[in-house]
Amino acid sequence: MVSKEVEKILPLVQKPGRYIGGELNSVIKDKEKVALRYAFCFPDSYEIGMSHLGMKILYSIANEREDVWCERVFAPWHDMEAQMRKHGIPLYALESGDAIKDFDLIAFTLMYELSYSNVLNMLDLAGLPVRAADRYSLTPIVIGGGPCACNPEPMAEFFDIFSLGEGEEVYDELFDLLEECKKNGSSKEEFLRRAAKIDGMYVPSLYDVEYNEDKTIKAVVPKNGAPEKIRKRIVSELDSVKYPDKFVVPYIEVVHDRVVHEILRGCIRGCRFCQAGFLYRPIREKSPDTINNQCRGLCDVTGYDEISLSSLSTSDYTQLEPLLDKLLEWTIPEKINIALPSLRVDNFSDELMEKLNKVRRSGLTFAPEAGTQRLRDAINKNVTEDEVLRTSRKAFEGGWTAVKLYFMLGLPTETFDDVAGIAELAQKVVDEFYKNPNKPKGKGVQVSISVASFVPKPFTPFQWEPQDTREMLLEKQAHLLSCVKTRKVNVSYHKVDISFLEGVFARGDRRLSKVIYYAWQHGCKFDGWDDSFLFDTWLEAFEQCGVDPLFYTSRKREFEEILPWDHLDYGIRKEFLISENKKAHESETTPHCRIKCAGCGANRLNGGKCDAMRKNLV
Amino acid sequence: MRCVRIWFEKKGDVRFISHLDLMRTMTRAIRRSQIPLWYTEGFNPHPYMTFVLPLSLGMESENDAMDIRVEGEITNREVMTALSKVMPQGITVTCVTEPVLDPKFIAFASFDIAFYTAESAAALEERIRNMLSGTELVVQKLGKKGHRKVYKDIDLLPHIKTYELKEKDGAPVLSLVLPAGSTTNINPSLLADEIIKGGSEDDYYVIIRKQLFAEGMKAFE
Repeated sequence: MVSKEVEKILPLVQKPGRYIGGELNSVIKDKEKVALRYAFCFPDSYEIGMSHLGMKILYSIANEREDVWCERVFAPWHDMEAQMRKHGIPLYALESGDAIKDFDLIAFTLMYELSYSNVLNMLDLAGLPVRAADRYSLTPIVIGGGPCACNPEPMAEFFDIFSLGEGEEVYDELFDLLEECKKNGSSKEEFLRRAAKIDGMYVPSLYDVEYNEDKTIKAVVPKNGAPEKIRKRIVSELDSVKYPDKFVVPYIEVVHDRVVHEILRGCIRGCRFCQAGFLYRPIREKSPDTINNQCRGLCDVTGYDEISLSSLSTSDYTQLEPLLDKLLEWTIPEKINIALPSLRVDNFSDELMEKLNKVRRSGLTFAPEAGTQRLRDAINKNVTEDEVLRTSRKAFEGGWTAVKLYFMLGLPTETFDDVAGIAELAQKVVDEFYKNPNKPKGKGVQVSISVASFVPKPFTPFQWEPQDTREMLLEKQAHLLSCVKTRKVNVSYHKVDISFLEGVFARGDRRLSKVIYYAWQHGCKFDGWDDSFLFDTWLEAFEQCGVDPLFYTSRKREFEEILPWDHLDYGIRKEFLISENKKAHESETTPHCRIKCAGCGANRLNGGKCDAMRKNLV
Repeated sequence: MRCVRIWFEKKGDVRFISHLDLMRTMTRAIRRSQIPLWYTEGFNPHPYMTFVLPLSLGMESENDAMDIRVEGEITNREVMTALSKVMPQGITVTCVTEPVLDPKFIAFASFDIAFYTAESAAALEERIRNMLSGTELVVQKLGKKGHRKVYKDIDLLPHIKTYELKEKDGAPVLSLVLPAGSTTNINPSLLADEIIKGGSEDDYYVIIRKQLFAEGMKAFE
């Protein structure tokens, strides 16, 4: 619901539908009857934020409580921000249209490092001081969560709390404490001291960081009774945890405009570059009946005609075929399409393909990640060239004429031969199409290869590795292009400047807060958008703040070094990561978790339980 | 299979939803209503749906209509009841009928334009009267020349047959009829922009499309 002031400026901006709220299934409560007003902020545009499953889950869980009203907030696009600032309209929540500066709790989900400047901008647009230390009163409390909370140190100055791991079950404890503190008139300091005692709540102001002369970290010292290690929260059973029975249905088109269902959390594969594969452990599967019933309910209540089964590696879900059978029973007559966005090349079966072809055909995407077997072994991708080609053949025989392949440049131990290998593999996929005797007449094949730049991330075996410099990545991109000899293969890749900045923040420390502050003050926001990214301003910010970005990206770290995120416990043992790192340099693979438990340690978070092993016993 | 015409209002904040977004919104609403829809029989089956006259972004509408095709035994009343339960806020189904005229026969539409300006109501009304009783009122209209977008000058006065000035909640409201549809279509915001041009930055207006007409000002049914 928008105010008269907002109504006036909406005709002046692009896609005003982003700013009106009122969508089907959005939750409206009586603000006089709730104890806590809660703004759930996504620091990017409406279209991106509304596609985010985590927000849908947490929005519905928070609103289950009668005493809490959770509302959505997104970053207004440049034109809207300019109008809001010009007319003195503060950042408001979509459900009530009320300014969020008067809310009790403001949460940001930190999905990627390049949204950091938007967090500052949103706090400022709300009319709040961006630094936590400058916000004196108990409310609003500003809290951050999501994957970037695994190393939130660069943002430590701006947040009161970071919530580590999965938010589903921590909410009640946090809401209860804040309500109690509000009632008792407690100070913000007292609230934070007590919040730090809740499992998974990291209060950065309760930790002092000391540095060595070589700028590495000497110690992280907790104070005021804060725990030495903060362990991430997880939900034990996916079946019993609340899943939204309604999705807010946007009026305007968003990136993922469909029913999304999470079927599996965690990943058994252990690809060494993949942060999500380690962060979301241990592995937990949801039962086909629960998924089927919830999908049916969601389709009825939203009117969507597509369901996407989401997880890190969908074909590793042990019950995939029984699940698809159950779903197809009703989705075919109702003309609902099922999409499986994360399939692996090594277990993509004929039966699966036939089932996917039932209603509407979507694109096929596979991720070999590296061009040669040696490098694929080093990153533990465990996919062979034969498997890639066999799967492509199956897809072509099944009538597909376009395949998308994902790769990375800049992986540890990569050589120019590995880069050329990407082009060679793509060429072999093209050849596979022309070998098919039943190929459709008059139609060519299109193999799209999308090449990302590798960024080493915390809690992966590559967390100690140097990142390729921008110059090196550009050289590798040029080399790849020179190796592609056909127009049947098209290549797209990431901007190296953006990957560079992502790398700085991914493994950064608290000294970067002032850089982020400077860059934001000088106009940086929406850094993930090519058109908005001001790289020169970022370079100026590093320069002015006396911080060398290469210290964070290009340096090989020793195993003994204290890393900025060492006081955060994501379940994965450091010894395991070290051993995986060493194996990478020997191009030695580790079998996936169902073949043999690699002993990563994440099952400690779940009382020793891990579905990878449980399913193995069956 | 038969065609039904669904009449609806689009009011309040949803006026900021574009035509394409409205189509998506309606498709989903119809799916939720579980009306037995007729699907095209091609490779990629989709429901048949067409809006009789797309509405510009930012306008409210009191008598909008879309045609859909349904299968099986379902009465207009049942369609109306089923749809009314599932509409999002701001979109209200007012009536479901058998289409009488094809949308291509739409020739005129009537509009109310409410002005919220710093200028007093009396002064604004005076200015509007003067503008509309002059010899010509030339405005620039964005048109296409091939693929290029070009501005064309058009005189609005020949298109405005009658108009009326009223007041609603203290705001001056200009009611008028303009050519609409596939042959000649004049967007009332061309006139409204001209009227508030040069005023305060905070001035704005809200347009409501009231009725659709065929040739000879016969009601479009």
